Amino acid sequence: MDNLITANIRQRPMRTLISVVGVALGVVLIVINTGLIRGMLNDRIRRERSVGAEIRFTRDSGGSQLTASSANTLDTRYVEKLRQIPGVKAATPVAGHVQSGKSGLGFEIVEGIDFDTYSAISGIRIIEGRVFESDDEVIVDETRARENRVRVGDEMQVFGRKMKVAGVYAPEVSSRVKMSLAAMQRALGAPNKCLMILVKCANPDEQELVQRRINEALPGNYVILTRDVGLGYERAIPGLDGFVRTILVLSILVSTLVILLAMYTTITERTREIGILKSLGAPKRFIIGVIEKEALAISGIGVVAGLIVALLTGWMMERMTSLKLEYNPKWVVIAVLVGLAAGALGALYPAIRAANQDPVKALSYE
Amino acid sequence: MDPILKTEDLRMVYRVGKVDVPALRGVDLAVPPGEFVAIMGPSGCGKSSLLHILGGLLKPTSGRVIVDGEDLTTVSDAQRTDIRRRKIGFVFQRFNLFPTLTADGNLRLAEHIHGNGRGRGNEELRREVLRLLKLENKMNHKPLELSGGEQQRVAIARAVINRPAIILADEPTGNLDSENSEIVLKMLGQLNRELHQTIVMITHNPEAAAVAGRIIEMRDGMIVKK
Repeated sequence: MDNLITANIRQRPMRTLISVVGVALGVVLIVINTGLIRGMLNDRIRRERSVGAEIRFTRDSGGSQLTASSANTLDTRYVEKLRQIPGVKAATPVAGHVQSGKSGLGFEIVEGIDFDTYSAISGIRIIEGRVFESDDEVIVDETRARENRVRVGDEMQVFGRKMKVAGVYAPEVSSRVKMSLAAMQRALGAPNKCLMILVKCANPDEQELVQRRINEALPGNYVILTRDVGLGYERAIPGLDGFVRTILVLSILVSTLVILLAMYTTITERTREIGILKSLGAPKRFIIGVIEKEALAISGIGVVAGLIVALLTGWMMERMTSLKLEYNPKWVVIAVLVGLAAGALGALYPAIRAANQDPVKALSYE
Repeated sequence: MDPILKTEDLRMVYRVGKVDVPALRGVDLAVPPGEFVAIMGPSGCGKSSLLHILGGLLKPTSGRVIVDGEDLTTVSDAQRTDIRRRKIGFVFQRFNLFPTLTADGNLRLAEHIHGNGRGRGNEELRREVLRLLKLENKMNHKPLELSGGEQQRVAIARAVINRPAIILADEPTGNLDSENSEIVLKMLGQLNRELHQTIVMITHNPEAAAVAGRIIEMRDGMIVKK
């Protein structure tokens, strides 16, 4: 029977190719999209955790900048109150604005900072050009400058208007584009407001103690340890779960339909062969088994092809864009299972139909 | 000796639109083991319907068909398939080999199905059948690489490889030239003589029928001469 299956796969190369592409497409969709989500989130989390401050003081329960385009509701006067708390070495306010990505895909976060206090905590320094001086100037990190070929003096869109790149900073910390806090407050119409306040402890080992003191002194706010930033981001981003589910359903649909159509066509072409199997005394389960095994073999090839294409696509995307991909083993396994399940599911109806064919009619099929 | 194949008052009526078209009108037949029977008759006389019913591919409207002690007419579709798997081998006019498999692959598939997905077939019997049918050098050829006569010999080998109780041959020389027809008929006769294989063959051709030990003539769905 194995010979029959492999012979059929080889005998119909175009059918096999189309089916393989269909399954591979589903696998690529899942692996690339979940890899992108994980890669971009983890990249963001890494940068958010590297701000040099141990504590983040905010009004937002998640403490996430990713949802904070209009969440600049924290009064900057808290900065002074925080500085008074024992164990706090420094504090700096940060405003945030989320805008659509450069290419129209994804999103980009722009931070409004007080450069002197922020750089004192995070350690960023200008490596080219200078710091922003006016409301229409921004600074970018070296990765953004390198990957998007942005140079000092270039213009970029922030708040829907053109802003000049005044300087390039390093190392990469939190958002890749920063501007003056005051300028952002004016642009957002939120004077004296910010998204969060970064708090540096005099002794990092006492950050939990300082966290407790802040909670006691300034109740009703959220005091998050920076090392915990990012926990639950995937749940905090609106629509992310739905997006992943949509990709999953789309992948299953695409792969299943392609296999179904391919196998259905094949079964019609092979009506006489089904008749021969029946004349040899093959039971229904045998005929269903032949078709299912063939579909699973094709799906297996599609899965492998999909994984290879996904790896190559991811590698090219990382080289050619600023997008980051991190493959999640869980989703790779899910993609493999979806590919195989789609094959089995798509072939089921044609297989049952074949098994139920009238042997005499099948044998006389032209 | 009990017949290996027996029919009793076999009737088959096809429904075409609102009209009943009788194909078999009470066929009684008995074939003892090891006999080679040819069934002749004009087109539309019911030969093919009879062969399909004898092979369990069709269920008759009424009557009984007993193959090697098992009644095909009282069992389910799945049980009929099972009896076909164990007891019947078919040879068709159009050979009906799997075009994607070699001659050997076609034989092994038949063995695989006969073994219900288990076992590797009978190596010794396969060699014996191949020798009888002079196919030793053609086993790795696909059907399209073989002549019509060779394809039909492979089909015969496939039918006999599992040593069925009965081989049902449906116009086995219908697609062959006279030279190949002669070879195929000779080989069917040889199988019958040397392996004591029971064969029921349908044919239009009196020369082909002459190879058989007994000729049955059909007309209008009935046997007119045994």
